[in-house]
Amino acid sequence: MVEDVRIYGGWKDELGLKVVPSKKIGKDLYEVFIGPQHPGSGHMRITVRLDGDIIVEADPDIGYVHRTMEKLGEIRGWIKPIPLFERMAIHDACNITMPYVLAVEKLMGVEPPLRAKYLRSLLCEINRIGAHLYGFAIFGVFLGHSTMYMWAMGDREVFIELAEALTGARLTHSYPLPGGARRDIPADFPDMARRAVNYMRKRLKEYEKIFLNNPVIRSRLEGVGVISKGLAAELGIVGPNARASGIGYDVRIVEPYDAYPELDFEVPVFREGDALARTMVRVEEIKQSLRIIEQAVEWLEKNPREPIVDKYLYGKYPPLHKKIMESEGRAKLLPISAAMKVPKGRAIGRAETGRGETIYYVESDGGVNPYRVRIVTASARNAIAFKYVLPGHKIMDLPAIYGSLDYFPPESDR
Amino acid sequence: MPPKVAVKPLPKRGGLLAGVSDNLAALMIGIKYFLNPKRFSIYYPKEYPELRKGYRGFIILNKQKCISCAACARICPSAAMKMIRVPVPHPKEPEKTVMKQFPVINYQRCIFCGYCVDICPTEALYHVNYHDIVYENLAEMFWDLDTFQKEPEYPTAEEGIPVRLMIHEEYGLLKVPAREKQG
Repeated sequence: MVEDVRIYGGWKDELGLKVVPSKKIGKDLYEVFIGPQHPGSGHMRITVRLDGDIIVEADPDIGYVHRTMEKLGEIRGWIKPIPLFERMAIHDACNITMPYVLAVEKLMGVEPPLRAKYLRSLLCEINRIGAHLYGFAIFGVFLGHSTMYMWAMGDREVFIELAEALTGARLTHSYPLPGGARRDIPADFPDMARRAVNYMRKRLKEYEKIFLNNPVIRSRLEGVGVISKGLAAELGIVGPNARASGIGYDVRIVEPYDAYPELDFEVPVFREGDALARTMVRVEEIKQSLRIIEQAVEWLEKNPREPIVDKYLYGKYPPLHKKIMESEGRAKLLPISAAMKVPKGRAIGRAETGRGETIYYVESDGGVNPYRVRIVTASARNAIAFKYVLPGHKIMDLPAIYGSLDYFPPESDR
Repeated sequence: MPPKVAVKPLPKRGGLLAGVSDNLAALMIGIKYFLNPKRFSIYYPKEYPELRKGYRGFIILNKQKCISCAACARICPSAAMKMIRVPVPHPKEPEKTVMKQFPVINYQRCIFCGYCVDICPTEALYHVNYHDIVYENLAEMFWDLDTFQKEPEYPTAEEGIPVRLMIHEEYGLLKVPAREKQG
């Protein structure tokens, strides 16, 4: 059968059924399926073809966790999709729902007050640190560095604890709402946040010693999986992966949303584009996120508490709702939000999630449901990198490249 | 001050000496944590983490406050909450009964988003701060109106010692007793 394999368009097997291979397989190439059950690959498969142990062709095969997010978003009103969309990147819950909320806000014509904007940015940054630490943990175990796995997962718990104090849930916060946020900070939150920030700063220095500057790790990362600036731009790679290749693109800069224009932080960019640069970008981003958390907490502490929903919506609040907002800092939903109608129109929401830019296109026909919700997540745009980065490397570099790209299948497959 | 892009050089390591010192630094930090481990376990169920007051745990109904508006059932993203019709005594003529709607919940479906609690116009629904309860069969997770009004039994609290997780500058998270010891 080997000779037949070389024919494009398939052949007939013994039972007369047509077999169509996706690609021609050379006579002396090995075809290796990495995933979807492979412990390192997540819910995806990479078909790599090997000449000896050099990868000559890689084919990312995505879609194993497709959950029809876009279609489900069309049948459950305007508020209810928020807990659904969180399931795309559950450890990045506030970031991934932010663009949807921004788009719906544009359609509704509501504007959250400044305090709500700060609260949302605060949770976004807590989530970003959580997402990066999660990425480190997986990356560490890919490289056989199980200490990093334990440390990053353990330190992520600190930020989950912070998010729980703020929102009342560990991961699925459902925190932003069109026109505001759901809860104000509890009284002891600023102290908790400051302690967490100080702890993480110390911890990052230790990460450097045991992981980033560790000669064993560095020799596996340096010069591996280089994405040049041109290639990154051509493939449309976003987020930390693009910034490691020298592209200074961040939605927080090009189209600032929420409280970001008022905060003082940097967007780190590296020029090298290899696996080490992609790792270092994330480390630097954690440092910047810690800075943002400090600033946001200080602002929230300094400024007096005010209603954290849009003025128009707050005007509709009955006295009981206002009382709860004052005493508990909890924003009640108006009963109308269960079946509200949003004016006709189209809107695009963009936000920088942990893994890059996420875009929602939301169209309303004036009904109780969105007419169309199109989601383009960061991982979906980064998945193509496997095809162009892997060839030319040894098979043992695959975990290093996979881990450094920080690809997250549930986010990509939607 | 607005955010800005900052191009940074990758920290270079090289040379024979750096290789030795980096290896030693990695080893030293391993030894440091080997001798002085900053870790802890929560021996569940002998100890259990007592969660904060605002935690979104099980949802309980206060029937007296309910005005049968069905907003909770309509906002529920996972269709866990449903309205049922129950006969209640007529407000003016006690011998007659009228049908009134009350919410019931299916905890197989609930995702604890708390939208129902937030939308309730009379604060008839509230969260308790625990949600580690085991059910022997799935049918028990359908709560009828009577079950929905009572806070569920929390056997862990009767047997275990409550602990609290504190964020600590040195240890990250620290396990501290939730309450002062009595006696």
